Amino acid sequence: MARRGRQALFFLLPMLILVVAFYILPLILTAWISFTPLTNWRVRDQLDDFVGLENYVNLYYLARYDPDFHKVLQTTLVFVTFTLFINVVGGLVLAILTYLIDERISLAYRLLWLLPRMTPLAVFGLLWYYFFYGGPQGTLNSFLLKLGVIDEPVRWGTDPAMLPYSAWAIIVFVNGLVGVSYGMIIFYSAFKNIPRELIIAARVDGARTWEVIRHILVPMVRWHIVFVTVWQLLSLITSYTHLFVLVQWSVVDKWYGTTLALYVFNTAFFDVKNQGFAAAAAVILVIIGSILGLVTLRIMRFSQMISPPRGDI
Amino acid sequence: MVEVRLEGVTKRFGRVTAVNNVNLTFGDGEFTALLGPSGSGKSTILYLVAGIYKPSKGRIYFGDRDVTDLMPNERNIGLVFQNYALYPHMTVYDNIAFPLKLRKTPPEVIRDKVLEVAKFLHIHELLDRYPAQLSGGQQQRVALARALVKEPEVLLLDEPLSNLDALLRIKIRSELKRIQKELGVTAIYVTHDQSEALAMADKVVVINRGVIQQEAPPDTIYNEPRNVFVASFIGSPPANIFPATMDYTEEPCINLPGGTRHCVEDEYASVLWRMKPSKVIVGFRPEHAEIVENPVDGRPVIVGEVYTVEPLGRENIVTVASEDIHLKVITPPEVRPEAGELVYVAVEKGKLMLFDPQTEVNLRYIAREWSQGG
Repeated sequence: MARRGRQALFFLLPMLILVVAFYILPLILTAWISFTPLTNWRVRDQLDDFVGLENYVNLYYLARYDPDFHKVLQTTLVFVTFTLFINVVGGLVLAILTYLIDERISLAYRLLWLLPRMTPLAVFGLLWYYFFYGGPQGTLNSFLLKLGVIDEPVRWGTDPAMLPYSAWAIIVFVNGLVGVSYGMIIFYSAFKNIPRELIIAARVDGARTWEVIRHILVPMVRWHIVFVTVWQLLSLITSYTHLFVLVQWSVVDKWYGTTLALYVFNTAFFDVKNQGFAAAAAVILVIIGSILGLVTLRIMRFSQMISPPRGDI
Repeated sequence: MVEVRLEGVTKRFGRVTAVNNVNLTFGDGEFTALLGPSGSGKSTILYLVAGIYKPSKGRIYFGDRDVTDLMPNERNIGLVFQNYALYPHMTVYDNIAFPLKLRKTPPEVIRDKVLEVAKFLHIHELLDRYPAQLSGGQQQRVALARALVKEPEVLLLDEPLSNLDALLRIKIRSELKRIQKELGVTAIYVTHDQSEALAMADKVVVINRGVIQQEAPPDTIYNEPRNVFVASFIGSPPANIFPATMDYTEEPCINLPGGTRHCVEDEYASVLWRMKPSKVIVGFRPEHAEIVENPVDGRPVIVGEVYTVEPLGRENIVTVASEDIHLKVITPPEVRPEAGELVYVAVEKGKLMLFDPQTEVNLRYIAREWSQGG
């Protein structure tokens, strides 16, 4: 048993080192910083200057009284919920479509949907900057002006009359476009692994296309759906890059385009450079993420899906 | 039940012709085996009958009904796959009930029918299990139950036994035949295993390269193969086949390898006289010959040297080399010659088969076609 333990350790070691160096240590460091008044990276003066729970107390007051921070929390909730829905359900729909059509068209179609993911962030951001630009030169505006649908250019993501919904719609749309291909690829390859005979058997048993989808395809990729849901949930809670570009270039309103993850980033590195406070918010974010991840696994009854390994390992 | 008829059916996949102008009738309530090597097009024919493939040319009929353009679910067929294709996320009960649920059958009726077919196949105690929890033989029965619960007019079986171990295969073989006769369903059974085909089927259809080679009862397939392919495909080991020259001085005589001659007297003689081929293809089954020390008059005899002896317990397979031809002979256990020994292979009277060297058709069939034609 001791020998097997050592063997297991040997094989786990490379991964353990990576996890410790790039996840556990930064996490401990972040938790540490969250108890200090660190601002503007004055590491030498402030890193050992403990202020107790002051940052957390400030965060509490902010959450209670600051209208901008309320907007951030609302935006986070809306953004994560709707983008997650698009990523999982949209990915599933795209995978089913590409699975059912001719292989060559399917390949072209999947590549098309992968483009947003392959496009560099700045280029992709610029594209939507032009598209939603508030002046008459903006792609959407000039298009609608020419068609006569609108009389004067619309500031799509920033016009107070349309907030918060227009800003939310834009950030969900842009992120959904990037994220939906992930689910599509995972589900598509899962469909490809279903034996062809099962589909033929279902057809012979009298199933129409819709019934094949409902009774065979979707139930057989249950595990993949759980995986994509949890994975996308956690990455949506913590990702901020696309939102950063959209907010920075004023494509969307600052507060209705900022999620908690972006708020942490801006607080630490961009706006006020208050690292102590940002670290406290980051710790809360990690806790929320962990709880939501576990709850999702529980809701989707993950434990029932894992079977004990076969044979002696 | 119903008769299944294929009329001039051709199926192409791109440039490959999998099935070429097939005319075939599967008798009402008959058990027909489609037998051929892999890639011969036998499964394609099955899938054409099922409606999974659409023929490139030709029509398919169930009785008087033209089903060529109907989808599988409109044809009332049951299909059993080689790997069973059970739905892994459903219990045995749900697997069997699935086709009925899709037909919007009332739940009480579904229950009754599933229980009935499960009892019939002795799987009624397994209904709560998942396919992964069943043995190969049990999965096979569930697959059969799922196909039968629809009360199909045609039962299609795609190598259903080849994933089972040898003993179970022989047991289920006889059981499958009993079930088919009991239900009187028209059955089409695809296999590459000749012993399955010969043991179970009322009629065997031998297919090669998308073309039907012979369509006959098992006995005829075995004893009177229509052409060289059927002779060399059926039998274990298959028939010995070799070319030989002819000599027509007084009678039609075959120059056999090793320098002996055999003059033909039976029904082949008249065909040979009329066609006068300078060469023929000769064949005989390993079990229709014996190894003798002295040539016996009248029997065709081939002289050769013993090459190998394979003792199988019940019998031996002796390979004899004569010129550059290797012949296999089945001998009783006590007849076990030494390798290198000079022996005579004597073929039973009337068991020599002769084939036309160009078309490879058995000359006996050519003779019959002539006598029928006038």
